[in-house]
Amino acid sequence: MQNLQVAPVSRSRIISNMPKPYTPEACHQYQTQFDAEVQTVCQQRNAGAIGLKMSKAVMVGDLYVGKTSLINRFCKNVFDRDYKATIGVDFEIERFEILGIPFNFQIWDTAGQEKFKCIASAYYRGAQVIITAFDLGDISTLENTRRWVQDALKENEPDTCSIFLVGTKKDTLSEAELERTEQDAVRLAIDLQAEYWSVSAKTGENVKEFFFRVASLAFEQSMKKELEKNRGNTAQIGVGNLIQLDGNSSDKRENETQLNMNCC
Amino acid sequence: METEQDEVAQDELGPEIALDKDPFQLTVEDVYDISHIVGQDLLKISREARGVSSLVSDLQFKIVRVLEMLEALVNQSSLSAEELKMERDNLKAEVERLLKDGPQMGVGPDKMVIDLTDPNRPRFTLQELRDVLQERNKLKVKLLVAQDELQCYKSGIIPSPDDQIVTLENESMITCSPRENESKEKSTVKSLFSFKQGKQT
Ligand SMILES: Nc1nc2c(ncn2[C@@H]2O[C@H](COP(=O)(O)OP(=O)(O)O)[C@@H](O)[C@H]2O)c(=O)[nH]1
Ligand SMILES: [Mg+2]
Repeated sequence: MQNLQVAPVSRSRIISNMPKPYTPEACHQYQTQFDAEVQTVCQQRNAGAIGLKMSKAVMVGDLYVGKTSLINRFCKNVFDRDYKATIGVDFEIERFEILGIPFNFQIWDTAGQEKFKCIASAYYRGAQVIITAFDLGDISTLENTRRWVQDALKENEPDTCSIFLVGTKKDTLSEAELERTEQDAVRLAIDLQAEYWSVSAKTGENVKEFFFRVASLAFEQSMKKELEKNRGNTAQIGVGNLIQLDGNSSDKRENETQLNMNCC
Repeated sequence: METEQDEVAQDELGPEIALDKDPFQLTVEDVYDISHIVGQDLLKISREARGVSSLVSDLQFKIVRVLEMLEALVNQSSLSAEELKMERDNLKAEVERLLKDGPQMGVGPDKMVIDLTDPNRPRFTLQELRDVLQERNKLKVKLLVAQDELQCYKSGIIPSPDDQIVTLENESMITCSPRENESKEKSTVKSLFSFKQGKQT
């Protein structure tokens, strides 16, 4: 996206430090900094001249748990009390700048209804991030996340997706109720090898923190993957053509694979 | 039919057969036969023994009363049996009718009836919905690209002509690739996006 790259990223989407996890009990990693090698690679590059990095996240979960609301709070900073069922699938693209590198983050919203499953599941493909949401006030939706994750994993290559379990509508629970439900949720998150978060789209609590964390981990993950790939291919580690934009036609094929973050 | 058989039997064997019958098979005719037999016996007694005739007529009165009660009971039970039989035959006919008409008007398993007068009835196929969604996604990508370009112009950044092409590959992938050299002559706006369609990943 040429102009996405040229147009300045909103100041509120610039990330230079690794955001903290919600709870150390169920998180992907504890590091407070981005991977050192990734940082070095990013520093060596002039942000403007670097190609576009992107990752894809899919949001799955039961009907009415608040998936669309969560995305709308983050991407548009709105909350709609009225319910409008998502038809099949929808998406948003959020532009970040992480460690000086433009990073486009696709968030695919899916319908929780059974009747749309056969449509929505086609959109699970090529996701680096699976976000599975449940309503903190409805324990049955927590149990169903296991199946949602399985469905999404089925459409992707093994070990290419990182999973996030999100409890929604945090504002509807008392402290005591929240604590009880979070215990169950954290247990399930550990089981699913997912990172756990509690959020409220209504109040906005933890919404930005959550998506920043997801985007940062996805960015770091894809950078690491490229470093790994380059290590295998050439002797040039962390230099030159990592995310090269203008390739000559001979290594164009390779460039495309590098730029197309969806093939993993 | 049963009554006909009974009548045939009675014609041959005489009214005495009624006394040998299963009480639950008793018909009103049987009760009349019994009444006849008992009446004949009482008549014989009063003929033989003149002195006891008033006692016999007392007894006769009581027997008549018992027989009347029996008549009422038998009538009643055969009536309800008759009702039940009719009910059963009606139900049988109903079941047969439903089984015969069923396949046309009812629906088999996994089938659904659509009310053609309902303005909200389902009318589009899954594939049509898929296509519409895909179209919507393409337009949304275009919109996002256009919005960004607008922002570029507003902020005085002129997009450079040799960057990237936004692609919506198959259904769910939005990808960017470096623009090929030959497309450089095209206007910036036009060459910004080319939407690949097809099944390749
Ligand atoms: N109180 C509260 N209600 C919410 C929250 N998030 C969503 N809702 C409501 O829950 C309903 C379903 O939300 P929606 O995002 O459409 O669910 P989806 O089917 O998972 O996309 C809507 O009526 C929302 O207003 C929240 O954080 N707090
Ligand atoms: Mg929705």
